[in-house]
Amino acid sequence: MVFIAILIGCILGAILGLNAPMISYTYSSYLAIAIIAALDSVFGGIASVIKKNFDLKIFISGFFGNAILAILLTILGQKLNVDIYLAAIVVFVWRMFMNLGTIRRYYVEKWSDMIKEKASKKDKDKKQEKQEEKTEEK
Amino acid sequence: MPNKKLISIILGVMCFALTLGIVVQVRTIRSTNSTISQNQEANELRDEILRYKERYDNRFAQLEEAEKELEKEREEATKNNSELEQAQQQITEGNKLTGMTEVTGPGVTITLTDGTGIATSTLNPSQLIVHDLDVLSVVNELINAGAEAISINDQRWVLTTAISCRGNTIDINGERIGAPFVIKAIGLPEYLAGLERVGGYLELMRGQGVGVNLERSNSITIPKYSGVINFEYLQNVEK
Repeated sequence: MVFIAILIGCILGAILGLNAPMISYTYSSYLAIAIIAALDSVFGGIASVIKKNFDLKIFISGFFGNAILAILLTILGQKLNVDIYLAAIVVFVWRMFMNLGTIRRYYVEKWSDMIKEKASKKDKDKKQEKQEEKTEEK
Repeated sequence: MPNKKLISIILGVMCFALTLGIVVQVRTIRSTNSTISQNQEANELRDEILRYKERYDNRFAQLEEAEKELEKEREEATKNNSELEQAQQQITEGNKLTGMTEVTGPGVTITLTDGTGIATSTLNPSQLIVHDLDVLSVVNELINAGAEAISINDQRWVLTTAISCRGNTIDINGERIGAPFVIKAIGLPEYLAGLERVGGYLELMRGQGVGVNLERSNSITIPKYSGVINFEYLQNVEK
């Protein structure tokens, strides 16, 4: 359900983005950092859904707060001639990897459990068959 | 924890905003043709140039609007005065001659493209490329054939126009212009098409492997000169 919604959102966004007007080059660096912040928020959201501690207020405030803070930092950095946005990117990407790790661990564990269950079921079936064969032979 | 429907809707909306941003950003970056180099200094310089170019374009649009307004004001001011009206007509006529207005009329379009042949199969690979002298010669022949207005890739040919070599591009009116070169000329199309005569410059270029295409047309629009013609040393001789 969650992933279907994400997929639909992505497709709609791409379609609208292809038809939307282009922004001016001056602001493209701000949009870039906002994209990274939003990406981080989305990964964080998925991870928290998996961890079952998803809080709507925290998620939405994080989405906008992170993006706005990152843009403000970029502007400040340009005024001070320091590449502050690099720090923002490092933090966001680091958190993205952490969240991705959570998501990955959850699914790997789920799948390995499923495989184990199947394997044990098969073993049981085989044992049962063998037992049945033995009983028939007897 | 809120229900799953709400979560998926919110996440979907977020992803929508995210992909929208990414696609717009990618298109913007692609449209500026900026290649990212490993050298940070080069990146910053490129960034600055792009920003300046954008500012320049904005200013240029403002200038054009202001000029339109000026024209309107002038027309209004000279409405009820025959003497001023005559002066106004003189200005319009003069602007037409000096290339300060957009003009239209019959003429030809000549397209010069770099040759597509294999460079090693010709004696001199440099021949395959359209040079500044080629453009200059074609323009010269067009003037010779009675062209009244000429533009090269939308750069109007005016009194102060110089065509010079700039590495792999050509400098016209101080603007860098790259191949293919579209040379438009207004004049009697039959005369202008005479450039294709046997032994003419176009034929010479074709022989060298350069792509040459001449098209006659009944309506060609040539843009105005975007710069300013300033004479500092010129004075009238008093009689």
